[in-house]
Amino acid sequence: MNFIVSGNTDIGLTKSTNQDSLSIKVINTKQGRMVLAVLCDGMGGLDKGEVASASVIRAFDNWAKNDLPALCEAPIEDPIIRSQWENIITEQNNKIKAYGGGLGIKLGTTVTAMLLTQTRYYIINVGDTRAYELYNGIRQITNDQTFVAREVALGNMTEEQALTDERRSVLLQCVGASDEVYPDMFFGDIKENAVYMLCCDGFRHEISPEEIYERFHPDKLLDEHKMNQASLELIELNKQRQERDNITVALIRTF
Amino acid sequence: MLEIGSLVDGKYKILNKVGQGGMSVVYLAMNEKANKQWAVKEVRKDGVLDFESVKQGLVAETDILKKLNHPNLPSIIDVIDTDESFIIIMDYIQGNSLNNALEEFGAQPQENVIEWAKQLCDVLGYLHSRQPAIIYRDMKPANIMLKPDGNVTLIDFGTAREFKEKNLADTTCLGTVGYAAPEQFGGMGQTDARTDIYCLGATLYHLVTGMNPCEPPYEIKPIREINPALSSGLERIIQKCTQRDPNDRYQSAAELMYALEHYNEIDDIYRKKQKNKLVKFLIPTILTFVFAGVSIWGYMSAENKKKENYDYILANASKESDYYEAIVTDPTRTDAYLGTDDHEGLIKFLINDGELTSEENGTLSKLRGGLDDINLSGYSTTVKVLDELEKADKKGYSRVCYEIGEAYLFYYNVSVEKDKYAAAATWFQYAEADYPIAKMYCDISTCLQNIAKYSKAGQLAKLNEEYGNLWEQITSLNDNALNNFSNDTEGLDLKLRVWNEIINMIRNNAKELCEVSSQNKVLNLINGISDNSSKITNAFLQESINSLKSNIDETVKKVNSIKKREG
Repeated sequence: MNFIVSGNTDIGLTKSTNQDSLSIKVINTKQGRMVLAVLCDGMGGLDKGEVASASVIRAFDNWAKNDLPALCEAPIEDPIIRSQWENIITEQNNKIKAYGGGLGIKLGTTVTAMLLTQTRYYIINVGDTRAYELYNGIRQITNDQTFVAREVALGNMTEEQALTDERRSVLLQCVGASDEVYPDMFFGDIKENAVYMLCCDGFRHEISPEEIYERFHPDKLLDEHKMNQASLELIELNKQRQERDNITVALIRTF
Repeated sequence: MLEIGSLVDGKYKILNKVGQGGMSVVYLAMNEKANKQWAVKEVRKDGVLDFESVKQGLVAETDILKKLNHPNLPSIIDVIDTDESFIIIMDYIQGNSLNNALEEFGAQPQENVIEWAKQLCDVLGYLHSRQPAIIYRDMKPANIMLKPDGNVTLIDFGTAREFKEKNLADTTCLGTVGYAAPEQFGGMGQTDARTDIYCLGATLYHLVTGMNPCEPPYEIKPIREINPALSSGLERIIQKCTQRDPNDRYQSAAELMYALEHYNEIDDIYRKKQKNKLVKFLIPTILTFVFAGVSIWGYMSAENKKKENYDYILANASKESDYYEAIVTDPTRTDAYLGTDDHEGLIKFLINDGELTSEENGTLSKLRGGLDDINLSGYSTTVKVLDELEKADKKGYSRVCYEIGEAYLFYYNVSVEKDKYAAAATWFQYAEADYPIAKMYCDISTCLQNIAKYSKAGQLAKLNEEYGNLWEQITSLNDNALNNFSNDTEGLDLKLRVWNEIINMIRNNAKELCEVSSQNKVLNLINGISDNSSKITNAFLQESINSLKSNIDETVKKVNSIKKREG
């Protein structure tokens, strides 16, 4: 299995800082090529959200550097990834909380991290950044940990109401601002000739999954240039539609 | 940033940093002169982007807080505005936040939580009753200080305002905004007192279960699903506090306070107890009615049986003792005395032979003294039958006495007139109230007794007076007989008997009566009776009329003889 990757971010129309952070790495291991993609949407007063998001990105990078090689000595088992990643999140949560406490501010970040091995995908998710799989249609892998998503799940709100509800940006939890963080984990087998996409909420508020699927169809994303091109087009479309948030998207094409 | 050991306002020595809020730091300070500890809250100007607007809010807020005075609120005693910072001096609340208590010990005992809830409810009620109302908006364990004496104090009025001013277009995290009520996210109407009710409910939920409603599964479940030992009353209260729609919650702190004070009364256990109490009360009540019913039924059937027995005995009565047996069976009925349509009574039975013998008199007088009743086990008891009849049936009693009296008067087989009257009077006296004529008989009887007494003693004056009385009695008896007796056979019979009695009376006392009135008057009376009796044309009574007539003739002779002698 081989991968082409691309990542793009934009500060958006109104914000003074880009608090989103993104990292995509193609890693050569004993078990073949792997991809680690991490996307964080930071938040917080005093424009320190990017500190939180960057901190989490770095923590996953360190993991890829320090712990992943050791894991690759043997076949990778799901529970090991789960426990190591949960530790990363808890650790980051405490660290960011302590940092915010020291400054007297509250800051935090969402995180969606995805590891693609030759056969499996591993995703950890906190907050409302998302992972999608585009293969014969578009499939959202992660579930938003947002107030509106829970209301929809509880049947108190319809999907349509959730899109326009004022509370759509209220997260149930995030790394750095909750007492305890309970991340969601998603594991599965990866498909050949598919596109895996991570995006922040700013990327998807104004455009529909159908539009995403049309632009990011695996048949259209044949090289890195085309992937970047398509990403930038959609980011521009977002801005045309007056998206105010930072906009970030990461793409991984398997072949 | 205040330095440890520095002096603020020349009074407050900063001892220690005890907390840090959104834009402020809280220090413990000591007023060394007064030797009292204070909390010093410093809002740093350099740490806040737009300090002026923040300061405006702070000034307004502290102005409000300065006016507050409640045992569960810290009081603000001073506000100092320096170049670098804005400093608020307030009560130092010793103790730990409930948040720490939760982290350390987990879920808190229900009794404590309810006690705290009452105090917090009291504070909220106090805040909501200010003019204008103060909505706290940020009730959570971290903002509640548990003092060493077990009471709680609500601290930190800053974050509430902070949240209110939050731009909701930005991504925010539920964990940072506390147990925000649905309406606090905007778009669901204004926040009001009921918002605080929601947050208090969420706080109680967190305290009593140890589960943070802001952590997965992000919902407030019925608390007994988490710990079945908790009170169902408290469960109801928390559920009601945390309804999504503010209209479904308690509408005021006072309402919630009432519920908290009576939480065990809406408890299932309590309800069960009350139900048990009700059952315990109802069972004897129902049994009372059942037993009353049974006894009434038993009594009725006994009465019924008695009636059957009575009727049977009476219907088959053929000798004197049968009547007495019937009377003992049910002394409250008069049938055995007076007879029914089917069967004659005791009185008729006794006088059927035309006279009342002295034996019959003996048994009749036993009625007064009481009859012997032999019960099933063979014991005999004396039943005062006439007393019982009097109790049960006054009119019947009078009638029985009257009729017995008449039986004596007309049939008693004694030669001396006054004895007959005396015997009759013993019965008539009980019938006086209902039968005026009975009274007359009694009076006549008294007269006769007195006449006997005075004639024996030779007191002529009194004797004369008594004869005068007797004369009056006789005439009024005659009037009464004329006016009051009916004209059917029975009434006429009675009339004839009364006349007969009057004639007898005159014949026996002709001389004396003529003396006290006059011969003519006596004759007039006799003639009157004679005239009236001759008007009666009743075949059944012909014999009585005839005997009365002969009686009259003899009496007239006797009276005339007196006249002759006198003449």
